[in-house]
Amino acid sequence: MSIIYFLIGCSVFLALAFLIAFFWAQKSGQNDDLFTPGMRILLDDETKESPKND
Amino acid sequence: MQPEKFYYDNKIVRNFGIATVIWGIIGMTVGLIAAIQLYHPGANMHNQFTTFGRIRPLHTNAVIFAFVGNAIFMGVYYSLQRLLKARMFSDILSNIHFWGWQLIILSAVITLPLGYTTSHEYAELEWPIDIAITIIWVVFGWNMFGTIFKRRERHLYVAIWFYIATFVTIAVLHIVNSFELPVSAFKSYMVYAGVQDALVQWWYGHNAVAFFLTTPYLGMMYYFLPKMANRPIYSYKLSILHFWALIFIYIWAGPHHLLYTTLPGWAQSLGVAFSIMLIAPSWGGMINGLLTLRGAWDKVRDDVILKFMVVGLTGYGMATFEGPMLSLKQINSIAHFSDWIVAHVHVGALAWNGFLTFAILYWLIPRIYKTELYSKKLAAFHFWIGTLGIIFYAVPMYWAGFTQSLMLKEFTAEGMLKYPNFLETTLRILPMHVMRSVGGGIYLLGVIAMAFNLVKTAKQGSLVANEAAQAMPLEPVHTLAKESAWHRRLERRPIQFMVLSLIVILIGSVIELMPTLTISSNIPTIASVKPYTPLELQGRDIYIKEGCSNCHSQTVRPFRSETERYGEYSKAGEFVYDHPFLWGSKRTGPDLAREGGKYGNAWHYNHLMDPRLMSPGSIMPEYGWLLTQKLDTTTTAAKIRAMQTLGVPYPKGYDKIANAELDKQAKAISDNLYIDHIKVKKDKEIVAIIAYLQRLGTDIKANKTPSK
Amino acid sequence: MPETLTLVKPHCYHCGEECLTTAYETDQKQFCCQGCQSVYTILSGAGFCSYYTYNDHPGTTRLRNDKKYDYLSDPTILAELLDYTDERLSIITLYIPHIHCSSCLWLLEQLNRFNPAIAYSRVDFLKKQLIVRFDPKGINLQQLVELLNDIGYEPLISLQDIIKKQNKEVKSNLVQKIAVAGFCFGNVMLLSFPEYFGLSAFEQNFKTFFGYLNILFGIPVVFYSGWGYFVSAWHNIRNKILNIDFPLALGIAVLFIRTVVEILTHSGAGFADTLCGLVFFLLVGKFVQQKTYHHISFERDYRSFFPVAVQVIAEGKEKPVPLAELKTGHRMVIRHNEIIPADAMLLQGEALIDFSFVTGEAVPVNRTLGEIIYAGGRQTGEAIELEVVKPVSQSYLTQLWNNEAFTRKQDTRMKTFNETVSKYFTIVLVAIAVGALLVWLPFNYRRGIDAFTAVLIVACPCALALSTPFTMSAALSIFDRNFFYLKNTAVVEQLARINTLVMDKTGTITTGGSKSIGLDAELNAEQRQLIFSACTNSIHPLSRMICKYLGDLIKLPVTGYREIPGKGITANVNGHQVRVGNDEMIFGEVKEGNNLTRVHLMIDDAYLGYFGFQHEYRAGLETVTGLSPAYELYLLSGDQDHERAELLRFFPDNAHLFFNQSPQQKLDHISQLQQKGLKVMMLGDGLNDSGALKQSDLGVAVTDNVNNFSPGSDAIMDGRAFNKLPAFLRFSKDTVKIIHISFLISLTYNLIGLSYAVTGTLSPLIAAVLMPLSTATIISFTTLATHFAAKRRKLL
Repeated sequence: MSIIYFLIGCSVFLALAFLIAFFWAQKSGQNDDLFTPGMRILLDDETKESPKND
Repeated sequence: MQPEKFYYDNKIVRNFGIATVIWGIIGMTVGLIAAIQLYHPGANMHNQFTTFGRIRPLHTNAVIFAFVGNAIFMGVYYSLQRLLKARMFSDILSNIHFWGWQLIILSAVITLPLGYTTSHEYAELEWPIDIAITIIWVVFGWNMFGTIFKRRERHLYVAIWFYIATFVTIAVLHIVNSFELPVSAFKSYMVYAGVQDALVQWWYGHNAVAFFLTTPYLGMMYYFLPKMANRPIYSYKLSILHFWALIFIYIWAGPHHLLYTTLPGWAQSLGVAFSIMLIAPSWGGMINGLLTLRGAWDKVRDDVILKFMVVGLTGYGMATFEGPMLSLKQINSIAHFSDWIVAHVHVGALAWNGFLTFAILYWLIPRIYKTELYSKKLAAFHFWIGTLGIIFYAVPMYWAGFTQSLMLKEFTAEGMLKYPNFLETTLRILPMHVMRSVGGGIYLLGVIAMAFNLVKTAKQGSLVANEAAQAMPLEPVHTLAKESAWHRRLERRPIQFMVLSLIVILIGSVIELMPTLTISSNIPTIASVKPYTPLELQGRDIYIKEGCSNCHSQTVRPFRSETERYGEYSKAGEFVYDHPFLWGSKRTGPDLAREGGKYGNAWHYNHLMDPRLMSPGSIMPEYGWLLTQKLDTTTTAAKIRAMQTLGVPYPKGYDKIANAELDKQAKAISDNLYIDHIKVKKDKEIVAIIAYLQRLGTDIKANKTPSK
Repeated sequence: MPETLTLVKPHCYHCGEECLTTAYETDQKQFCCQGCQSVYTILSGAGFCSYYTYNDHPGTTRLRNDKKYDYLSDPTILAELLDYTDERLSIITLYIPHIHCSSCLWLLEQLNRFNPAIAYSRVDFLKKQLIVRFDPKGINLQQLVELLNDIGYEPLISLQDIIKKQNKEVKSNLVQKIAVAGFCFGNVMLLSFPEYFGLSAFEQNFKTFFGYLNILFGIPVVFYSGWGYFVSAWHNIRNKILNIDFPLALGIAVLFIRTVVEILTHSGAGFADTLCGLVFFLLVGKFVQQKTYHHISFERDYRSFFPVAVQVIAEGKEKPVPLAELKTGHRMVIRHNEIIPADAMLLQGEALIDFSFVTGEAVPVNRTLGEIIYAGGRQTGEAIELEVVKPVSQSYLTQLWNNEAFTRKQDTRMKTFNETVSKYFTIVLVAIAVGALLVWLPFNYRRGIDAFTAVLIVACPCALALSTPFTMSAALSIFDRNFFYLKNTAVVEQLARINTLVMDKTGTITTGGSKSIGLDAELNAEQRQLIFSACTNSIHPLSRMICKYLGDLIKLPVTGYREIPGKGITANVNGHQVRVGNDEMIFGEVKEGNNLTRVHLMIDDAYLGYFGFQHEYRAGLETVTGLSPAYELYLLSGDQDHERAELLRFFPDNAHLFFNQSPQQKLDHISQLQQKGLKVMMLGDGLNDSGALKQSDLGVAVTDNVNNFSPGSDAIMDGRAFNKLPAFLRFSKDTVKIIHISFLISLTYNLIGLSYAVTGTLSPLIAAVLMPLSTATIISFTTLATHFAAKRRKLL
């Protein structure tokens, strides 16, 4: 079952990649404000010639 | 400073949308045909290309990778641009991605009916297509990370994290599960064998479900649901927490697909443990979604789109709760190999993936066409008929699942099997199969109604191919001088992240080579287990080509009910030369692990020619073409050599004499058939497959007295 | 304007307030005032109408007055306020209380449309903050703030902006630590389970492989995530304190060492999963404990409410002067709604000063020329000129801050249960461990060491460490739901220990606007004018309300004005003898009964009737005062004792009512009570209470709007929650009980573990089961119990 080594390797590397991603997110302030972004996506950026008031 | 003006690419979204609908209808139609064959075998139109064994993989591939796949790309391309306030990185990449993906699906539609398959579930496509998938997937990733890189919105909304996770994980999974050794342009052998191959396959299989059918849809749910309800997600914090929890747990739930097999016990239990842990993060998403609508149920009452979302989320909740339950050994011993699993899968697929896709289409198409939905009534009709379809599909299948497995496990007072003949149990559940196909049929009807509705909508509006928008360019974070450098480096992180993920894949593939070196390390080898003879090998490939493993398992679980019915339970050592493993995941017919020697060659000949001759009422298709088609022996040598590279101990230079050996064995069989007044030339495919069937499970019987 | 529309009383399209007049109208849209109308015109001018599409009436009423922001051009002040600046870019974080809906978000993040020099503006909704990057050459701060003010989002600028400070703080990397611990925990579980599920004989090579990986995962957990425990343990030892961190650190260390040893010597599987789990849960507990309110600040003092600068007249020219540079003799100009920052003498203008946030009394009072006006008053009406008599720091109110009560450190607060108990816990723990070691040593040193380490592992007070944070944070959110905001979890325990309540009167037990007035008499125009004229001379709250009630009449010349304290006033107006006063004064005898105060009116000995004053004490005051005798109740009021009679209906003990209390007196009073060994909780609202609030064991600021003024305190109570105070007190006691029980629970787990440990036979499996099990029990118990207790106290 040496395949286990390999699969564990993959899983751990994947997890590690995501851990690093998390660190980046934390460091770069991605998680500083965990409220406003939820509202922000509701607002559409309109342009002067095509205002879409929906 | 002036805000930058830019345009969202709606055309690519539209294209993926169209593809979604078309492939959806095709994939479901194929599914319907397959379903009908399960009570009316004649529905294969007596034609090998439309026979269950070949079109079942076509159905799964079409709905997963064509329907859901295109839907994912549609949703991602729409939401990603708006969430990042930027057009997709490159239109060329977008188009390569679109057309490449359609081409891949097209090739699947052609090759699968022709019988070119690896027999790895949800990864049936042969090696050239696997490579194409890899390339197109990288194109997708390149395009996505490129967009992230040139974004105008600093914060990456939770949906994007789900997309990233999808890309990275699927990339790794696909590569790991596609390590095949090509024999010819459309034939390859899995590098791993038997138990190890099984583990890899289901490690992939489960995570494909997790990261192709779940994470991208969660991402889309987190974008589209708030938009549809025009209210922010119930708790954004929870959504972030939910994401990271899911990511870190999902990856190891795979082995629960192999309970009671010859996979080491601890590995099975591991799968179970992690599957149970999954409930929490999975439900996190559903609860967050449903609570978003709390206080807006009046909206739900008169907005069909939200109705679709609610049912979809509920389906997700049910499926993600049922899954871990199914991974419990006791439940699994009943549910596994039965229709229960089919029901479970379809609740997830029809409700979660299906309904979410429909909701997004209904919401998105009118928007990019700057018009209203053509008919709300028709959409409502779709909703109700769709829901009805799900019920009509799921309920009978659960019922069938229970009934059959309980019958198969039932013993008489004397301790004999109550239903020694597998066929009895099959006949009992055929009515349920009929109802299932009805359910699937009306669900499909709903989709067609949607297609009509959307076409009309598109007609009455006009596509805004490039939707104007404006936003401020992203500025570097300003802090203390020495820090700002650090920050500017952080700004480049998305790219670094992509590079990193590629490295991960690379390292993965390096370690990949290891198992080929230690082919059967610490699997208890059994002296009497010998490699397949050339004829058996060819027979085995016909078995694979005809997709027999879609209905017949090849692993006897250590239950009395099974050892009584099929014989000695399977040992890990028996499969060391099985490239790929053929354990299967569903028993529409009986298990074949110990088929060898049970019946004479003549029985097999007649049974394959017309199953109903030997077992009246059987729903197995007739394989008339095996009698007439000539076995292609040109590949024999190559196949032997391939097996040798994979560590199968054929004597040196065996490939040279392989075909001679093959003829010898074939002749023996055709002679044996002649005794029963069956005249068949020794070079016909039927001979090879009979040879293989007669070999199955005999290695152990050879040196052991068959357990009775 | 069609009549019909005026009949239906339209609501302001911008702010939603009812329009009293139809004078303000644009695009067939009604507005309540000039301000709202102008905001609308600005917005619609800039094509911002979808501001109104996301929500109805998203705006706020506003009044603009010029020169208000001149000080923002002063370089020293700029330097104070800006987060960052260079020649082409300035960044500022502004606190804008009005931010409340997605429309605000939408509008404020598009300031660039108003002025291209604004590069970027971003809202933090919970913190009600706006971060703006702008080009100082294109627009200066003053113009920016004025723009915000024009579109109805007036920022609250002050030199001591705590909320700003809060996010200036260095981000603690607790979250990263949790992430690492969690990541390792997950993987270690993955690698440890096989051991428990049983690896078959021919799979032993996995065991060693997994073992090494476990060590690998253990390292970051100990040396990154768990490092804090070693540090704090070490510090405490150095300062001769035994707190819970010591046994925790000990446990972590032992777990790690033993794991490493066992794996390297192939003598066992080690405790990697227990180790990672322990650290992970501990950190989660830490995280739960540090709840922060983004929108509330508990640390405010006068500087957060006084202006950043004032307009000072020098050489006949007005120029802004930063508060710090304000000197005695400066002649300052205070305009409508501006606060007087220092004690000063009124030199010019009609001063009508609102002391609401000093005393809580909402009714503005007149000040005559030459009078000293104390800092903290807010001028209403025309602009006035005053001469500074004391610099800000020595002013009547602000001198409080020189009091030692403000320099005092927090650690003189009472010890928490956890601190007290963990000391003994540690001692016992170590004793047992050593005991076990000594018992075994003679016969079997290996077993002895096993026992020693095992004891330290299973008795590791993880559950104990978690019980308090989880209970308290649960309690905190309960209070939170009931508009009672505690500074931190420790306050809950303090709340439970309180046995004395001291209350300020105005604004605390009475609502801001205090009384309602009703006239029970027929008065003609002349009579009205006479009474008005008489009353304007009085600063007594009742007279002020009468004047307010009668409206702006022309004041007639008054002679022979006399005010009889506690009775009323007599005056001669236009040759008429006007007498305004209570029963005693008019009829010579008290016939008070119900809680309606009557002020009778007599002109030329003709009785005309009376003004009736309904006292508006906060709803449920009786329930609060009902806490006596269980709690000692005191009232410290800054006002005269007009209301003593009515208050006596609530407060049983006359000796506990104190009036005319200066801020300093209030503070001293508290400390006297404390010297008597009482645990004092002070409820106050005004700046004049802040000394007392600080001095008390638990200062609670009562306010009707948490975003508005509230002095520094341990807790902030929304007026609506006042009647729940008794429930809060009982609930806090419950939570402490819960902590005690959960402590017992965790002890029992420790004992179970010890029974294995002392015999030196602790398998990794047992440890791996006990640790998470006890943790899970504690967490679920505390959460459920707290929830239940809250239900019982009707707080849910």
